[in-house]
Amino acid sequence: MSQLFSIIDEYIINHKLSKVSKVVLTIGEMTCVEDSTLEYTFRLFARGTKVEDAELIIKKIEAVSECQYCGERYKINYTDKICPTCKKYNNNLISGDELLLARLEGEESNSEGIEK
Amino acid sequence: MREGKIMKQIEVMKDLLADNKKLAKANRERLNSKVIFTINLLGSPGAGKTTLLERIIRQLKDEIQIAVIEGDLYTANDAERIEKEGVDVIQLNTKGICHLEANMIREAVAKLNLNKVDLLVIENVGNLVCTASYQLGEDIKITVLSVTEGSDKPIKYPLIFQNSEVVILNKLDLLKHTDFSMVKFNRDIKALREDIKVFEVSCTINQGIGELIDYLKQQVAERKFSNEPN
Repeated sequence: MSQLFSIIDEYIINHKLSKVSKVVLTIGEMTCVEDSTLEYTFRLFARGTKVEDAELIIKKIEAVSECQYCGERYKINYTDKICPTCKKYNNNLISGDELLLARLEGEESNSEGIEK
Repeated sequence: MREGKIMKQIEVMKDLLADNKKLAKANRERLNSKVIFTINLLGSPGAGKTTLLERIIRQLKDEIQIAVIEGDLYTANDAERIEKEGVDVIQLNTKGICHLEANMIREAVAKLNLNKVDLLVIENVGNLVCTASYQLGEDIKITVLSVTEGSDKPIKYPLIFQNSEVVILNKLDLLKHTDFSMVKFNRDIKALREDIKVFEVSCTINQGIGELIDYLKQQVAERKFSNEPN
């Protein structure tokens, strides 16, 4: 979580954001992160910061393996890794173990010094 | 003063575990440069990691130079036990963090005389969950599971078993007092990782330790005589 907020802070500074309205995370099915704990901890870290009112969106990525024997790409889970085409076991994950900060949305405050 | 608000959508795509992975890779390169075979020793609290390590050191230390990094939340109890076996040991206290991370290992490695190490064992914090996700720079992960923990644990904690090259099934002497199913355990563990090596041991009655020792000797020898970094 601190890594996440470290990166967010960097982007807040570089893009001059006055507030962050959306944080989109990409999490693989096999990444072993528990959603409700992540949400809860996120809210704790966000309190009192420019991320306070941000919507947290978690996009899940399917766990997919590419068969090293026949090239077939197929969905896998922890206990079923057999290629449906050639019936051989593969542990070659090509997606499903990501933990990425994918996107941020926010407001860039642009003050104009015009008095009315 | 009029304030305009510009809505921005920013593509980031940054890996939250990138820093740890980078440090782990640097650790690995450092250890590789000194031709050291490194093990990340994992398992629940009470599985028997430290006792197993004591047995391994006793049987191997005259042939192989061993160093140990001990990870615990608090206390130096385990490091003291290992010290009695006569090898270099560094105790890391995480003060509440439930797993070791690559930056902690970097600091510990800096304190060791790497020229006198063939085998480095990092005994991780007792934990089957988050320790699976943090690379430290090791060559292999070895997970210790004791029969008293139950044969359903591999399925319940799939990531750590999937990521381990070796699983040591410990406390075999107690098997008859439990309802641990060897059939279920072997079936599940092979479904998680087909090529996982299983060693059945008991430290109390000194069963199965010999085969484990032979395996470790082979890994260290292969590293020493191979010119290719792992």
